[in-house]
Amino acid sequence: MRSIRAYHRPQTLDEALALLTRSGIAARILAGGTRVTTISAVDPFEVVDLQALSLDGITVDGDAVVLGAMRRLQDVVDSEVVPAGLCELALREGPNTLRNAATIGGIIASADSESELLAGLLVHNAVISVATSAGVNDMPLADVLTDRGALRGAVITEVRVATGGVTAAARTGRTPADRSIVAAVARLAPDGQTSVAVTGVAATPVLIDPDRLDTLEPPGDFRGSPEYRRALAAVLVPRAVAQVRETE
Amino acid sequence: MKLTLRINGAEHVVDCEPHESLRVVLRREGLFSVRFGAETGETGADAVLVDGRLVSSEIMLAAQAEGHDIETVEGLDTGPGFDPIQRAFVATGAIQSGYSTPAMILATKALLARTDNPTEDEVRDALSGILDRETGYVRPVEAVLRAAAMLRGEEPDPVEAVLVPPLSFAEDDDLAEPLVLPRVAPRVVPNPEVPETRVVGHPEPKVDAVKLAKGKPAFTDDIEMRGMLHAKMLYSPHAHARIVAIDDSKARALPGVRAVLHHGNVARVRYASGGQSYPNPLPHDQVSFDTKVRHVGDRVAAVAANTIEIAEEAVGLIDVTYEVLPAVFDENEAISGNAPVIHDEPEMEGAHDAARNIVQHIHADVGDVDAGFEAADQVFEQTFRVHQVQQCPIEPHIAIGWLDSDERLVIRTSTQVPFHVRRMLAPLVGLPVRKIRIVKPRIGGGFGAKQEMLIEDVVAHLVLATGKPVRFELTRHEEFVSSRTRHPQTITYKTGVTDEGVLVSQSMRIVGNTGAYGTHALTVQMVSGLRGLSSYNCPNKRFDCDVAYTNIPVPGAYRGYGAPQALFALEAHMEDIAHELGIDALGFKERNWTRVGDPLDVAPKLGEGAGEMEVIPVITSSGLEECVAQGKRAAGWLRRYDPDWRMPADRPHIRRGIGFAMCMHGSAIPGLDMGAASIKINDDGSFNLLMGATDLGTGADTILAQIAAEVLGVPLEDIVVYAADTDMTPFDVGAYASSTTYVSGMAVKKAAEEVHKQIAARAAILLDVDIPGEIELRDRRAWSADGRSVGLEEIALHSLHQDQQHQIMGTASYVAPESPPPYAAQFAEVEVDVETGQVTVVSLVMAVDCGVPINPVTASGQVEGGMVQALGYGHCEEMVYDEDGRMLNPRFGPYKIYRADEMPHLEAFLVQTMEKSGPFGAKAIAEIPKDGVAPAIRNAIANATGARINQIPFTPERVWRALGAG
Repeated sequence: MRSIRAYHRPQTLDEALALLTRSGIAARILAGGTRVTTISAVDPFEVVDLQALSLDGITVDGDAVVLGAMRRLQDVVDSEVVPAGLCELALREGPNTLRNAATIGGIIASADSESELLAGLLVHNAVISVATSAGVNDMPLADVLTDRGALRGAVITEVRVATGGVTAAARTGRTPADRSIVAAVARLAPDGQTSVAVTGVAATPVLIDPDRLDTLEPPGDFRGSPEYRRALAAVLVPRAVAQVRETE
Repeated sequence: MKLTLRINGAEHVVDCEPHESLRVVLRREGLFSVRFGAETGETGADAVLVDGRLVSSEIMLAAQAEGHDIETVEGLDTGPGFDPIQRAFVATGAIQSGYSTPAMILATKALLARTDNPTEDEVRDALSGILDRETGYVRPVEAVLRAAAMLRGEEPDPVEAVLVPPLSFAEDDDLAEPLVLPRVAPRVVPNPEVPETRVVGHPEPKVDAVKLAKGKPAFTDDIEMRGMLHAKMLYSPHAHARIVAIDDSKARALPGVRAVLHHGNVARVRYASGGQSYPNPLPHDQVSFDTKVRHVGDRVAAVAANTIEIAEEAVGLIDVTYEVLPAVFDENEAISGNAPVIHDEPEMEGAHDAARNIVQHIHADVGDVDAGFEAADQVFEQTFRVHQVQQCPIEPHIAIGWLDSDERLVIRTSTQVPFHVRRMLAPLVGLPVRKIRIVKPRIGGGFGAKQEMLIEDVVAHLVLATGKPVRFELTRHEEFVSSRTRHPQTITYKTGVTDEGVLVSQSMRIVGNTGAYGTHALTVQMVSGLRGLSSYNCPNKRFDCDVAYTNIPVPGAYRGYGAPQALFALEAHMEDIAHELGIDALGFKERNWTRVGDPLDVAPKLGEGAGEMEVIPVITSSGLEECVAQGKRAAGWLRRYDPDWRMPADRPHIRRGIGFAMCMHGSAIPGLDMGAASIKINDDGSFNLLMGATDLGTGADTILAQIAAEVLGVPLEDIVVYAADTDMTPFDVGAYASSTTYVSGMAVKKAAEEVHKQIAARAAILLDVDIPGEIELRDRRAWSADGRSVGLEEIALHSLHQDQQHQIMGTASYVAPESPPPYAAQFAEVEVDVETGQVTVVSLVMAVDCGVPINPVTASGQVEGGMVQALGYGHCEEMVYDEDGRMLNPRFGPYKIYRADEMPHLEAFLVQTMEKSGPFGAKAIAEIPKDGVAPAIRNAIANATGARINQIPFTPERVWRALGAG
C-alpha cells in the first residue's frame, strides 16, 4: 500500500486509458481496491480509480446478461438476472466486507487460481470487453486468463455471461467457507452441452474435458499436493457433472 | 492530498497521503472505534459503512471514499444510553473484549436497513467479514436477531439462565429425548448445595459495556500523544544466523529518524520474556538485541521515527551482514546430537543441555511404572504429533510509552501481566521499579500471547533514547512470526491395563518444541505432564520430557497451556485402548477417571507451585458424570450406534460420527498465583474496586465486581471498577492459568468482607446495637437482627464527614493452597467425505463443571469462544513453513480461522458443583474449553470411518491419506 504514490479518479474512459499508458509511470487500476491495497510491491506506482466511469450497469441482452466491470460482487449476489449458480459462486468469493468492495472486473483481472466465480464465468462462456486506446476488443475469458498481456494499459469495461441451463459446483476445502483447494463447476447449457471448469489445478481456473483429467499437472501447496489435487479433480468433476444432470 | 470526507454526516477536510487507508485517516480524525486487525483487512475490526455498505476500511484508500457517506459507530452516539442495536449486544453477552464490537454493530445496522426480519443465515453472512476470536459468534448472532426484534417493536424476553434438571442417574434410553431450550439463554444445571445469591450467579451486563458498545477510546492505541514517534523493527530473514556487522548510518541519516537501536548500542541484559512470578524460571536466554538470530522474524534492530513510513524506510536502510548457519525445525532432530547448536552463547546458563538443544528435562514418577507394565494384562503404545498455531487476538501486540512529568517511564500496553512487565522491564532499561508505571487499558484479546514482556522493552529503550512518546504496534504478519505461539510436541503414551479395563501403569514421553527461546518451556510442558497424567486414576505413572530449542518462531503461553496437546493424545489413546480391548470407550474412561476424594498424585511433582505443595491434594468437587449425561443427550449420542444414521443413503460418500473427550483442568497455580484487591466506600454508598487483575476481554472485571456487590449487598452498578495500573491498584500476577475467578475472586471477596466489617461497625453505632457481627448488608442498607436498617449512603457520609472520621476501606490478597479441577464432557459430531477426506464439523456440545458460574452469560461465552479456538486447533489452523523456516501463511485466510457463516452448532451447559474453596463455589472456566475439541473430533472421525488419526489438524489431504484413498 505504501507504494501507491498518486491517486487518480478519471471521469471518462479515455482519461483513464491515458493515465494508464503514460510512459515511465507505473499505474494500476483500482477497482474495488481489495487486492491493489494489499500488494506488497516495493516499486512505486499510481492508482487509477474507475469508480466515476459508470461501469457498474447490468442489462439483459437476449440469452446473455451484461455486467459492468465495476459491478460489486454483492450486487452480483443480489441480482435477479444473473444465473443463480453464478450468484452462489459470487457469494463464495469472500465475506461480505470483501464482496461489498470487490468488483467483477477486479476478479477477472486477478485471475486467481482459486476463484470459483471465475470457474463459473468460464462455463457460462463469459466474454470480456477490453478497452484500449485502439478501441474495444471482445475476448473469451479463457483467453484473458492465459494472455496476461491483453490487459496491459487496458480497462475491462464489461462482462457478457450466457444465461440459461443448469450450473452446479462440487468442492473440497478445510472448512465450509474456506477457499476451495479444488472446486469443479459444471454447466449443462440449454443446447445440451456440458462444460466443466476447475479451480486449484493450474495457474488460473481452467475449462477441461471431463474425460481428459489425467492431463492435469496441478501445482502443490500445503493445503494440497499435486497428487491430491489430481485425485480431488477426479472425484469432484464427476460429482458436479452428475449434479447438473440430476437437476435438469 | 486534500480530501473532503463526509463522516457521520459532517464534512471533514483532511490532508492525507495517496496511499493512506480510510482507517488511518478516520482514526486521525478521532474516530477510534475503527480498529486495526490486519494490514490486509480480513479481521473486519476496521469495518465501517460506506454508502450503507459494510467494508473494510483498511483496504480502502481514504481517497476512494471521497464523495461517499461514511458511518462509524460514533455516529450512533447521541448521548447517554444505548442505541437499540447496542442494547441488544449488551443484553445477550455478545461483547467480550469489545474490540470488534463497533464493526459488528455497523454490520447489524446495514443488515437491518435491508430487512427488518433477517434469517439466521442472513445474520451470519452480515457478520462474515468480522473475525471473532472470542465469542464463537453465538451471542453476536443472537444480538442481531434481538436488535431486529426490538426495532420491529417487539419486547424480547430478558436473557436469563435456563435451569436444566439434572440427569446423572438417567438410563441411556432417557437420553434419546432431545431437550428443547430457548436459544442463547445460558443452560445451568443447578445443584442443591448452592445457596441463593442476589448478584452472583446472575447474567449481569458487563461493567465495561458502555465504552465497548459505543466504541469509545478504551484500548491501548486510542490515545494521542503530542510529538509521538512510531517504532518499527527490522526482523531476521534467516532462521539461524550470526550478525557479523550492522551498518545503520544510512538509516540514521534519513530525515525524521530519531533512534536506531541494535546490539551495538543497547546493553546486553539477559532475561526470559514469559510473564511469570519472581524468579522467572531459567534459562534467561534472551537479550533485547542479540548478535545472533534464531528464527525468521527474530529481532535485529529497532527504529523510532516521526512517521511509520519513515520508520519503515529506515528499517530497509539498515545494512546487516549475516553469517547464515544451518537451521533445525523438528524437535526430535534438534535433540538428536547432530543438529546445529542454537544457544551457543558463552553466558548461557540454566539450560539442561544447551549443546544438544535440550533446554529442559522434566521427569516425574509415581509408583513403579516398569513393574506396572509387567503386571498388566496388555500394554498399548502410541505416538501423537501436535502442531504449531497462533493465539490470533484480533488486537495485536501494541504498546505506547512516554516519560511523564516526573520523568518516570509510563507504558500503556496490551498485556495480561502488567506487574510482571514492570518488574521484568526494570533491569533491561536500568531503571528501578519505582520509576516505571505500566497501565493496562481494555485489551482486544490475549489468550496467552500477551502473558509476555514482548515489546515493552523495545518501546522503553526507544522512549529513553529519544525522550519522546513512542508507539509500537505489530502487524498481523509480525504477530504470527514475531510474537508467541503454541508449543508443538511429539507425545508417546504407553499404558498397561487389565483385561477388565483397569489402568495399571501409564507413561507419557514428550519432546516439546520451544523454538528459538525457552520462554514458558518448562511450565507449558510440565502442565502437559500434569494434565496428561491426572485425568485417570493409575497407581503407576511416569512423565519424561525433553524440551528442544529449534529455529521456529517462539512458542509460549496459549490458553490451555500444554493441556490441549496432552489431552488430544490422552483422549485418543484411551479411545483406542478401549477399541483394542473391545469395550465401550466411554465406559472404559468412566471406570478409570478421577472422582471426588481421589488423589492428584502427580501434582506435587509437576507444576509451577510444585515445590510449595506438602500434601497430595485430593479432588473436592466433580460434576463430570452429570456433564457426560447432559452432553450425551444434547449431542444425540445414541445415533453413533445407528448404521443408517452413520451412512446416509442419499449421500453415499458421507460417513457420520460422534466423538467424546473428557476434560479436566486446574484453577490457578497453587501456592504461587496471588491476586489482591482494594475496596473503598464513596459518599453515596457506592464503592471503588481497585484490582491488579487483568481483564483481557473475558469479563473478569464484571464477575469480580459481582463478587464485591454480593458481599456488600448492593447492585452491580454501585461497584466502580478500575484495573489494572501498577501505580494505582494492588498487585496481581495477571490473567493466566485460569486464576482470575478463583484467586483474584477470593481476594475481592476477602477485601469486601473487610469492608463489610467496617460498615457493620459503623452501622452498629448508628443503629445502636452491640454486636456488629449480626449486621447484614442488602439492598444498599445495613440491617440489624431486629429488622432496623440504615442506608449505606448515610453510613458513608457519617464515616467520611461526621464522627470519628474514617475511610471505610479494605485490602486483601489471596494465594490458593490448591487448584480444584474443573471438569467437562466434550462432544463433536462430524461428517467425513470419504472420497475427498473433507471433515465437516456439524456440532460441538460441551458441558462444563466450573463450580458455581459467577455470571452464566460470560461463562457460556467463555465456553463457546474457547470451543471455536479449539476447533481451529483440531481442524484447520496451522503455521506452515518453507524449508528455510519462512512462514508460508501469515495471513487470515491461508491461516484459517472460522467465520460466522460456517460455524458448527455450538451448545454449552454449565453444571454446578459447590467448590467450597472457591469464591461462592466457583472454579475456573477460561481454559478447559480448549482441551477436548480436537480429540472429540478425532474420535468422531474414528466412529464415522474407522480411521484413527494421531496428528492434528484434520485437514482434507491428511484425512484422505489416512482413509487409504490415496
